[in-house]
Amino acid sequence: MSLPSFEVVRPRTLEGALEELERHGPDAQMIAGGTDLVPSLKQGLFSPRVLVDLKGVRELDFIRFDREAGLELGALTTITRLAQSPVVAEYFPVLQAAAKTVASPLLRNMGTLGGNLCLDTRCLYYNQSAFWRESLGYCLKKEGTVCHVAPGSSVCWAVFSGDTAPALMTLAATVRLASPRGEREIPLRELYVNDGWVRLTKRHDEILTAVRIPLSSAGWKGTYKKLRIRNSIDYPLAGVAVAMRWASDGVCQDVRIALTAVNPAPRLVEAAARLKGKRYDPSLVDEVAHEAIRTAKPLRTSASTMEYRRHMVRVFVRRALNEVWANGPHC
Amino acid sequence: MGETTTQSSPIGARVPMVDAVDKVTGAGKYADDLTLPGMLVGKILHSPHAHARIRSMDTSAAERLPGVRAVVTGAETPVKYGILPVGHDETIFCVDKVRYIGDNVAAVAAESEAIAEHALRLIRVDYEVLPAYFDPEQSMQAETNLIHDDRPHNIEREYHHHFGNVEEGFAQADYIRQDRFDCPEVTHAALEPHSTLARYDAEDGTLTVWSSTQVPYYLKKTLAATLQMPEEKVRVIKPLVGGGFGGKSEVIPLELAAAVLARKAGAPVKITYTREEVFLANRGRPRQIVELKTGVTRQGKLTAVEARIIQDGGAYCGYGVVTILYSGQLLNAMYDIPNVKFDGYRVLTNKPACGAMRGHGTVNTRFAFEQQLNRIASVLGLDPVEIRRRNLLHPPCVTLNNLRVLSYGYPECIDRVVERSGWKEKYGKLPYGKGIGFAGSHYVSGAANPIIRSAMPQSTVNLSVDRQGGVTIFTGASEIGQGSDTVQVQVVAAELGLPLEQVRIVAADTARTPVDLGSYSSRVTFMAGNAAIAAARDAKRRMLQAVARAYGVAEEDLLMEGGRVLGRNGCPLSLTLAEAARLAAGPAGVLTARGSYNTPEESRGGTFKGAGVGPSPAYSYSAQAVEVTVDPETGRVTVDRIVVAHDCGKAINPMNVEGQVIGSVWMGLGQALQEVVDYENGRIKNAGLLEYRTASTLESPPVETILVESNDPEGPFGAKEAGEGSLAATIPALTHAIYDAVGVWIDTLPVTPERILRALQEKQQAEWKSPGTGARM
Repeated sequence: MSLPSFEVVRPRTLEGALEELERHGPDAQMIAGGTDLVPSLKQGLFSPRVLVDLKGVRELDFIRFDREAGLELGALTTITRLAQSPVVAEYFPVLQAAAKTVASPLLRNMGTLGGNLCLDTRCLYYNQSAFWRESLGYCLKKEGTVCHVAPGSSVCWAVFSGDTAPALMTLAATVRLASPRGEREIPLRELYVNDGWVRLTKRHDEILTAVRIPLSSAGWKGTYKKLRIRNSIDYPLAGVAVAMRWASDGVCQDVRIALTAVNPAPRLVEAAARLKGKRYDPSLVDEVAHEAIRTAKPLRTSASTMEYRRHMVRVFVRRALNEVWANGPHC
Repeated sequence: MGETTTQSSPIGARVPMVDAVDKVTGAGKYADDLTLPGMLVGKILHSPHAHARIRSMDTSAAERLPGVRAVVTGAETPVKYGILPVGHDETIFCVDKVRYIGDNVAAVAAESEAIAEHALRLIRVDYEVLPAYFDPEQSMQAETNLIHDDRPHNIEREYHHHFGNVEEGFAQADYIRQDRFDCPEVTHAALEPHSTLARYDAEDGTLTVWSSTQVPYYLKKTLAATLQMPEEKVRVIKPLVGGGFGGKSEVIPLELAAAVLARKAGAPVKITYTREEVFLANRGRPRQIVELKTGVTRQGKLTAVEARIIQDGGAYCGYGVVTILYSGQLLNAMYDIPNVKFDGYRVLTNKPACGAMRGHGTVNTRFAFEQQLNRIASVLGLDPVEIRRRNLLHPPCVTLNNLRVLSYGYPECIDRVVERSGWKEKYGKLPYGKGIGFAGSHYVSGAANPIIRSAMPQSTVNLSVDRQGGVTIFTGASEIGQGSDTVQVQVVAAELGLPLEQVRIVAADTARTPVDLGSYSSRVTFMAGNAAIAAARDAKRRMLQAVARAYGVAEEDLLMEGGRVLGRNGCPLSLTLAEAARLAAGPAGVLTARGSYNTPEESRGGTFKGAGVGPSPAYSYSAQAVEVTVDPETGRVTVDRIVVAHDCGKAINPMNVEGQVIGSVWMGLGQALQEVVDYENGRIKNAGLLEYRTASTLESPPVETILVESNDPEGPFGAKEAGEGSLAATIPALTHAIYDAVGVWIDTLPVTPERILRALQEKQQAEWKSPGTGARM
């Protein structure tokens, strides 16, 4: 399978990269690690005329921890660096836990945080060769009119399959988007749209440059649970991130739970609020775990069934809460 | 006395493979690494329909595209072929119908891959779509729109064997059990995708093909037949092969397509499959449904076994007739079963053709049989190990279906696994969620009967000794990563008393090496090994005779050791091998020797219909214990440890044998837990290594290998097969361990977490309804 032909431009600065994007408009596409994009290019899912290679924009490769601003992560930070960062390990354990589960060691060396956050949504009827999709008659996400996992649906159910996004959402992270018009900073959860085709609120001429985690999220206990068939390589079939801050008496002061790979967007679980101000209570944990299923709407976009993935969301929420909370100071 | 060097024999030595360095450094060349000046890229157009008639085809736009050098279609290549003489149902490109999504419709040779892909999109095919069959049990009911007109009810072949009398056997049984097992299709997933480079020389009409094949000589034959050329004008060369597992053991469409394109384009053509095309070419292990009925006495002695087996073969025969026969014939030669009945159906469906895969035909039947035996043991309250010991064969013997068993290391395999695994302390005694399971398996050391019936030897070897004493083996045997070259070097070095470095090997080039049928049915060590030994003995005899003559000594007073010809029994002679070789070369100036192997008549089986498949000169045996942890809340299985004992007759290279056994276990593990070719209306949904999930290193448990050496009387230095026989036992041992851990039996593969959870729920519901019954029934 050959790559389509395209031109590659290699800007050295953010300004240069933005200019290239503006100049080529919809013909241009960004590439950093390429671990998500290159296989899709071979499958004919994208046919850009110009690839803007961001790897040379070194100003986007940094990890900065500041007592006031919190943690700032450049979009070009590789997943390996993120997983190995002592600061991340010490203050933001949920993020480290998630980063360590991404793909395989080689892919983590290549893949970047920005790429992982902007990952294309995935579906068994979409991530296929041109031959395969043509023989089926295409799908709603690409060139077709029918969603094969939900016939009759007007939205695409391809699933968001990143691991770092839910972890960052539990830490109330924000992302910075740069464009020729300037820069804006939005909560990470507002980056996503729960439609597998629309995916992101990021505009075509915007570059996700950095992620910021507020200092107020530092030190939250956290963990990430990932459902997959193999313990390496695989995308998640479901993912649960939990981060919690408790007082010295074990009372939950604040908690966030986020799900990935069970919707077109990563999503926060609202029922988590029920835990605030409470002491550890297994039945309350069970209740929240049960409620979390409401936030998960996986369809047959990947291996495994909807029922099992929903079941596992419940198990994971409970296990993750138990892990971060049950061994708290009340014990 | 002359000087002697004491050197341990290369037999039983843990030596690295002779091609290891080239593979590790990247210097070794696989088919896709090869290039020729002016080489073109070939691409194949595949059918988007599962079953359709080709009304018409227009290739003119593709032909006009600049950079396109040849376009070929079925009209130009109508000769039928197939690996089995009884299954010639394929053509290089479809002539009138397409029979699966991915079937081969046309091909293009162009100056670049991009141009070739573009050209494929310009080929217009007008299809009349026909109803298609995807499920074998439904396909068997078909009256119309048959996949092949000459196969009523879409049944490729059926066999009905009855040995002894099962009615009487079941009448003697105290307990009879019937179960249905469903094992879906799995595939080889060799890391090297198939690749072929072809060059046609118009001046002398010769064709040279370099291909990733396990069977260069069958490929040569098929190339000649389908391209309608004299066979002596065709040369096939096998470069390094990156894994076969059966997926390269018959002629694969790209091999013929590249050759046809090269001839038409007048330039060399290379085709390398995409990973998706590897899945479409398939030839994997077919889905198999086994309805199995077994009778036993109260003491656990088998009285009768009856199996009804349906295999979903896909759209073409391939090895199918052999696969269905193996699935029934090798119910035997493992245990002493007095009455056996087998009804086997190889069924056609509109999916990529299945074929031979590691453990060919035996794996899913073995899973069913061993699982049912474990279930029987549990019902009767017998130890699963003990029930096996009560049903052992007593070789030398000939089974009901005429399989001759001479060496039988299975009892020792059982004993060693029981001891090493701590079976007695663990089975039934581990805490809930932890379990250990047991099973056995076996396999042929080469099919006793060749695919194309012939009286000629199945393996032949030429050997030359040069004037410096360097030895070169010329063998047709195909190294595909299993150690074929290394084993032959070892046995020749051992026979001639030489260090390994003094023996070179030239293999699998049909213009330079003599015939060997190929790397399938685990035949190479046994057959090519014996042929190599025979050639080495021939060379040795010539040298010793020449030395004896030259020095007036008795031949019996000479021996070869440490690279020299030495006298013994008081004879003080000591010559270098070079001196001996020059003497033996004599006036002709060259010393060549030859050897061959053919199976003994007594090993070739009976005369009933289908008797030819199953017989082998020797059988390997395997016993295994698998330990697991099952999370009853998630259904997730973690395999903690596998202890495997494999009777390989004699380990010529223990390191290599261990690698083969571990590899077999690992493939069994993948099939047991997670591998499945996932079809939807004939379309493979996971035709890639991301979604077709072979086990990663993280799911690969420690595998402790025990090599049992039963010293087969006919094997080379006593050796038997090592590369396939241990695969099958892994699956039932693992499902047995799951039962021991959480009390549920899973009869459908793969054993996904969901299947375990469902079984646990059903068990719980059943217990609520009838409290007080045994928790583990």
